[in-house]
Amino acid sequence: MPHWAMVIDLDKCVGCQSCSAACQAENNVLFVGPEQAELGRAIFWNEVFCHIEGEYPHVKATIVPRPCFHCENPPCVKVCPVGATYKREEDGLVLQRYERCIGCRYCAVACPYGARYFTWHAPEWPEGMDRYQNPDVLLRPVGIVEKCTFCIHRLEKGLPIPACNQACPADARYFGDLDDPNSEVSQLARSPRALRLLEDLGTEPRVFYLKEGA
Amino acid sequence: MVTKLTRRDFLRIAGVGTAAAALCEIGPRAPLLRALGPDEQVAAQAHQEVWQATICQQCQAGCGLLVRVVDGRAVKIEGNPLHPSNKGKICPKAQAGLQVLYDPDRIKGPMRRVGERGEGQWEPISWDEAIGQVVDRLAELRDEGQSHTVVFLTGRVLGQMEGLIARFCQAYGTPNHITHNSISAAATEVAHWLTQGHRDFLGYDWEHTNYLLSFGVSMLEAWRPTVRNVKAYGHMRRGRPQRRLRMVQVDTRFSITAAKADEWVPIRPGTDGALALGIAYVIINEGLYDKDFVAQHTFGFEDWSDEKSIQHMGFKTLVLRDYAPSQVEAITGVPAETITRIAREFATNRPAVAIGDRGISMWSNGLFNQIAVHALNALVGSIDTRGGVLTQRVAPFLPWPELATDPVAEEGRSQPRVDHVGTRRYPLAEDVYQQLPESIIGDDPYPVNALFLYYTNPLFSSPEVGRFYEAFEKVPFIVSFSPFLDDSTAYADLILPDHTYLERLQDVALPPSLGYPVVGLAQPAVAPLFDTRHTGDVLLEIAHVLKEPVARSFPWRSFAEVVQYRISGLWLSEQGDITATEFDFFWEEFARRSVWSDPPYNFGEWGRVLATPSGRFEFYSQSLRDQLAKVAGDDLEGLLEELRVQARGDEVYLPHYEPPHAVGDPQEYPFFLNTYKLMAHAEGRGANLPQLQEMLGLHVNRKWDSWLEINPGVARALGIADDDWVWVESPLGEKIQVRAVLYPGARPDVVCIPFELGHRAYGHWAKGRGVNPNWLIANETAGLTGTSAPFATRVKVYKV
Amino acid sequence: MEREHEALLRPLEQTGRGFYLLIAILLAVIGWGIFAYFQQIRLGLGVTGLSRPIFWGVYITNFVFFIGLSHAGTLVSAILRIVGAEWRRPFTRLAEAVTVFSLPFGAGSILLDMGRIDRIWRVLLHGRFQSPILWDVTAVSTYLISSVVFFYIAMIPDIATLRDLYPHAPAWRRQLYRVLALGWQGTEAQYHRLERIMGWFAVFLTLLVVTVHTVVSWIFGLTIVPGWHSAIIGPYFLVGAIFSGVAAVSVVAALLRWVLGLQRYITPRHFNYLGQFLVALAITWFYFTFAEVLTTIYGAEPSHMAVFWAKFREEFSWAFFAMFFFCFLLPLPILVWKRTRTIFGVVVAGLSINLGMWLERYTVIVPSLARPRLPYEWGVYTPTWIEWSVTAACFAGLILLYALFAKLFPVVAIWELKEETPTPSHAEQPKPAEA
Repeated sequence: MPHWAMVIDLDKCVGCQSCSAACQAENNVLFVGPEQAELGRAIFWNEVFCHIEGEYPHVKATIVPRPCFHCENPPCVKVCPVGATYKREEDGLVLQRYERCIGCRYCAVACPYGARYFTWHAPEWPEGMDRYQNPDVLLRPVGIVEKCTFCIHRLEKGLPIPACNQACPADARYFGDLDDPNSEVSQLARSPRALRLLEDLGTEPRVFYLKEGA
Repeated sequence: MVTKLTRRDFLRIAGVGTAAAALCEIGPRAPLLRALGPDEQVAAQAHQEVWQATICQQCQAGCGLLVRVVDGRAVKIEGNPLHPSNKGKICPKAQAGLQVLYDPDRIKGPMRRVGERGEGQWEPISWDEAIGQVVDRLAELRDEGQSHTVVFLTGRVLGQMEGLIARFCQAYGTPNHITHNSISAAATEVAHWLTQGHRDFLGYDWEHTNYLLSFGVSMLEAWRPTVRNVKAYGHMRRGRPQRRLRMVQVDTRFSITAAKADEWVPIRPGTDGALALGIAYVIINEGLYDKDFVAQHTFGFEDWSDEKSIQHMGFKTLVLRDYAPSQVEAITGVPAETITRIAREFATNRPAVAIGDRGISMWSNGLFNQIAVHALNALVGSIDTRGGVLTQRVAPFLPWPELATDPVAEEGRSQPRVDHVGTRRYPLAEDVYQQLPESIIGDDPYPVNALFLYYTNPLFSSPEVGRFYEAFEKVPFIVSFSPFLDDSTAYADLILPDHTYLERLQDVALPPSLGYPVVGLAQPAVAPLFDTRHTGDVLLEIAHVLKEPVARSFPWRSFAEVVQYRISGLWLSEQGDITATEFDFFWEEFARRSVWSDPPYNFGEWGRVLATPSGRFEFYSQSLRDQLAKVAGDDLEGLLEELRVQARGDEVYLPHYEPPHAVGDPQEYPFFLNTYKLMAHAEGRGANLPQLQEMLGLHVNRKWDSWLEINPGVARALGIADDDWVWVESPLGEKIQVRAVLYPGARPDVVCIPFELGHRAYGHWAKGRGVNPNWLIANETAGLTGTSAPFATRVKVYKV
Repeated sequence: MEREHEALLRPLEQTGRGFYLLIAILLAVIGWGIFAYFQQIRLGLGVTGLSRPIFWGVYITNFVFFIGLSHAGTLVSAILRIVGAEWRRPFTRLAEAVTVFSLPFGAGSILLDMGRIDRIWRVLLHGRFQSPILWDVTAVSTYLISSVVFFYIAMIPDIATLRDLYPHAPAWRRQLYRVLALGWQGTEAQYHRLERIMGWFAVFLTLLVVTVHTVVSWIFGLTIVPGWHSAIIGPYFLVGAIFSGVAAVSVVAALLRWVLGLQRYITPRHFNYLGQFLVALAITWFYFTFAEVLTTIYGAEPSHMAVFWAKFREEFSWAFFAMFFFCFLLPLPILVWKRTRTIFGVVVAGLSINLGMWLERYTVIVPSLARPRLPYEWGVYTPTWIEWSVTAACFAGLILLYALFAKLFPVVAIWELKEETPTPSHAEQPKPAEA
């Protein structure tokens, strides 16, 4: 069974957010609306960070798409009181049992990457828009935590990549088996440009970034 | 043991039972129980699933799509790997197409206005009634010899709809088929026409480009075809192990494109032409230009004398005289060392390409800015080379048949256009969309009696929007084909709603990009949700119901037949990647793949690529000279005065810089207002798409609302803190309230508000949300090209 | 002739209008809180001010706060019992009552915070003991059950007294006392057994006090969230809990003394001791706080400094400085000088400390969440009326339970008073009359 991992090339990424949009469409993540978004409750399983720094005219932007990293040592799994979040041995995915989650949000607090999202209100699909729900993905109720699953439903259907990777126009994302030393992700993960976020926390993320620049 | 059921026990049980029954009656969707009940799980059942190939129409890129349709519902949009432009990838706008289709605020059938315009009272009517009303009005006008007073206003028209609408106007008898190009980058197309003989945008062989010098082009955000450009960017950065693209972004703000570039060169707004010429100076002065190309394929580089033996200045002479880096520094604010360095880099890292578009061309001097930038490509021999500029071949559509003979239509067509195209006012223009309000209000040249709106929203997208509202009041009959109740449709009299693009059949040709022709076929992914009809079909029906001879010009029963008719030319040409012995087989394959293309791009077809009078790239534009001469007669000086062109003599026809006109005194209005477009922008049609609204401003972390980017130092001096409400006021006397973002990427003399928001109608997600900077923007037009010059408007900003 | 312990018994027999008014107000507040919580159930936790990344706020603050409150009861009745501090005797029951009645709201606050309260049973069915929450559930439930049992057992002799004293009380009340008295006859053997059981309980509860609040702190301390991941969080929270608990007991004691006229039992001397105890606790608390702050800012690790600045000069500075003022700057001078260490002074200090300690919990929890390591959108937390209403209802609930308890049982353990042996230091206290 492949041990899934992802590589994102920050040199190619242009922050178009196609990955975020594709993820939402694929996984039945509904928009929350202006008031809720203002409160910081928009749900982006894959979220693109954009950090602008510097003083005019010496300005720098750092654009980083962040899915869940499906860490080898997930801080979230450690703290879940009911085992609603768990790491699957076969393929290394960190998944969520929606029906078991009690909504304590301990996992969301523990995740240093902010990869977890909570359904603050029950998603209310506007009239007719429930028609574009993906039948392969569970709808989540109010009061539970949800997050990126590496599109496990696609993987199990034999589609080899998650929706975010599928959509990326810059071809900046790679996906595959980290256990296979010859796979593209393995080779890229060994690249001198490769790094992971907050590496010193020991979470061992399975999403690698390739540094921007020559 | 039998326990005796006491009366008390019974009541207790019954009580529970009643309560349980009551709970069931409330049902599993009741808010209370939704919180407490079992999760909603979609039952595992067999689904009917197809992947329908079609074409996206969120912008004109026309990327190929595969739409996943489950049980007749569109549930996911992905890219079509067979489409050579996007190759299976899409941008977030494409993804939001599902929300276009399933927008709960869509118009569900033909409607007629009840009550006053803008009151929002509508009465549903049948299609027969609706078409009948249109036909009645059109027939009446024709009978009165007033057919020319009908205006057909179009915006994002794709495929054969463009030709069909044009034909409709011609057959009916009105010259007033007006597109939105003039409130977009029409001047860019004119620049290419004057230098290369092609009035169009250009393509680029990005895969081999080494150096990209962009003058204000938001290439990675909003430059169609966006997906192709982003893909190419990724490839140019990392797809070629030996070569990594070097990219310089000259821009009036720190856009995402500037952020990804290797260097951002902040420039004074409207002076890009000068910078290009300063770069040309260095390249020419240091002999770094492509001497072969210049000698063989350009005209007007060296001084020359014409057939009357009159000496004419060459490009070289002009540049060396007027555009030394130190002079250019004073104009643009870009340091001379930077100019010199970039010039050397540009010329010595070939293939090198210089690009410019809306940002530099929508100024009073926009045409000249664009010509100057494009001249750089000629200087370094990047025209029609590997890694350079491509001139796209057109698909061999079957020509439209001759129009039926019709003296009434001929009479109508021969009338002057309401937008004054073809007059001295706009010598090079094909449309002047923004001229309409004044023409309509002033009945100049004549009153407009009917206005048709297709894929355009003048009450949102025009500069000085308020004036257009006034103009609308004067037009007695306004018809909209929009499937959405947008700002302009809300002021119409009759709505004949089109399908959304996921419900329609039409072709979509690839805009200039790959160089070779690509035609996509958009096919319905789902059956129409409502009682809407394809506008192409509606126009055909209107034509057929109108009297002869109009109907005779439309020998097709449906728009699908129109498309097939025109596409048959592709089949007949035997070119491209679909060949078949019979058209039916061709069409079947075309429909299966949803795209036909005819690679490769053949370099060196100079006759085609440089279709100018000289057959060369004209630094000295003879087309411009000839056209101006034709229009001016013997009063060229007067014409140039009227057009507010500052150059004189040969300089007019050479790439040159002249300062842009600005509206507003710099003392009172210290800022230029830059209105730019975001990746999530969807051409102003995206405000009703909640998914895009929720990811709108990545770089400023704003969603669902407009914002004003302002330099932090300047803001603090004005007492403005981050997120403060501020007024932005223009010399028009109009002002809007918006939240400030202290953005380090903002020049001190520029403030920026993105386009997209500020609708007054268009569904509950768009209505009343954000601000539309078009209310502030003066209706300035560059007379020469008829292009709107929105960036000319200066503004002032102060705290609320 | 005046009855012995008239002041203690009169509230059980007479109910003034003030009591009914109090109950009515409390019920109204609780009712409003229930309504607010019902909104939360109906609409989701979105009705609070929480968001990403501030997933925990007022409810979790209340959780820690109420459990903190509960520690003093155990301290007074168990620990002071073990060390033989006799002056505890008038306080044992009223302090233990604070414990017993605040613990449910501590545990309850966690339940109120759950996204899916309807799935609480899953904690029992699927509980993972790798999670600090499960340690917490275990410790707090054990503590709650043990405290309730201890509290009850300690009341048995007095319940028996009431059983015998009120043969003409309403049937339900007679039944209540009769059942709860467990057939107590006040024999020597019974007293002996009782004392032994209570002795063991005292030890057990003392261990629990240390365990419970340490475990509560480890919910935060065992994560890697900057500002939480600190080795001293256990002792820090423990000291804080005892601090706020003793302060609460002081306030409650003064209140009961004033309302019920217990001047005979609870004297300024007691408050003097409590005041001194609070001084020691304040200084210890300050020590821990200072150590925590100094360690943070000297190390100057960016993610920790972000949290520190949030508290020191950014949007949480009001809470941080208010906390410091109410926990330390205001009460310490009052309590250090004997002149101000009066009952009133101790009450003022006690209230101040409790307010400060609530803010302390808030300041520990929220700023750390408001400064995630990665630069994504920072949430702003403004608690809504729902959260405040529920909080108010918790306090009202605590007071209601307490008031009902005081209506049915004497707030001072009569039987324990009789056991107090006079020592020279107690010379000024009037001897209780013979039973």
